[in-house]
Amino acid sequence: MFVRGFRYGLTLAFMLAAGAAGAQQLSDKQLIASLGQVTQVAPVVDVGLLIQEVNANVGQGVANLPNWSQLASLAQLAVEIDFENDSIAIEPASYRTIGLIADALHDPRLRHYKFLVVGHTNATGKAEHNLELSMKRANAIMAALTTTFSVPASHLIAIGVGQEMPLDATNPKAAANRRVQLINLGVAN
Amino acid sequence: MANRLSVFGGAVVVMFLALTGPGLAQTISYADAVTVLADDCGADIKKYCRGLNLGNNEIRNCLEQNQAKVSPTCTSTLASVVVSIQRRLEAQASVFKVCAGRAKQLCKGVVGEVHILQCLVKTERIDGEKCNQAITDAGWR
Repeated sequence: MFVRGFRYGLTLAFMLAAGAAGAQQLSDKQLIASLGQVTQVAPVVDVGLLIQEVNANVGQGVANLPNWSQLASLAQLAVEIDFENDSIAIEPASYRTIGLIADALHDPRLRHYKFLVVGHTNATGKAEHNLELSMKRANAIMAALTTTFSVPASHLIAIGVGQEMPLDATNPKAAANRRVQLINLGVAN
Repeated sequence: MANRLSVFGGAVVVMFLALTGPGLAQTISYADAVTVLADDCGADIKKYCRGLNLGNNEIRNCLEQNQAKVSPTCTSTLASVVVSIQRRLEAQASVFKVCAGRAKQLCKGVVGEVHILQCLVKTERIDGEKCNQAITDAGWR
């Protein structure tokens, strides 16, 4: 029963509010507002280095490593997307979340930006398996966005980080750690 | 919108598209479109399309290939959802071209898509039919 889904959160506070009530619904307006908060001093992200760091630290965490830690300063949002058990098939119940992301990414306020799609799991199961599954699931989300909703493929980069960057580090098996982050990488070339 | 759609399912979309005619069909947001799809086709997807994904037309192809078995509601919802998504994609991609003349005329000195759009939404009364239809279909009012 490992890694049933990703959970995305705008901030920890937002996720807790949404999770606790179960009633607060994500909207494309929230997505646009949080993903559009771009600052002038945003760091330049090298995705190749992110992959190197995570591959070299499976089971040891990446939150404090140079490249992964700098992501925290970028405009981002996390939401929950559920998958079939141990599969890359997105549950129909999560189609709406994919649709909301598509609505936001096509909006004139966001459509010239490039985004990183980061898949996270919790720490149930083997770290290597979780890393691989998170990568495949991030790819599945990217495929839905770029094919069904025609988001330009050049505007998205999918990457998996498995269980290596938990939201709740004191409780690595917490469901809240399953999530996908969308991170604004700046204007697409 | 989402709640209404989930209550009445795809029938609302189908009726809406039918009543407004092919030339004037309205679009719904991508989120609402796939919510109706999940509501009306979720059971069939679970039954006939396990392991398949929303991307790369996998779900669409699967539901179409299994049309004899899937519910008629799902089949009609799928068709209308595909039309709505396609129409909205086309509108979003073409809005600034379709409205370029009006923008130049009505939004002098306004720079950037976001601001031009804000301007055009305000000048709706004189934007002309095509430009207005594109903004509406794009979901940007």
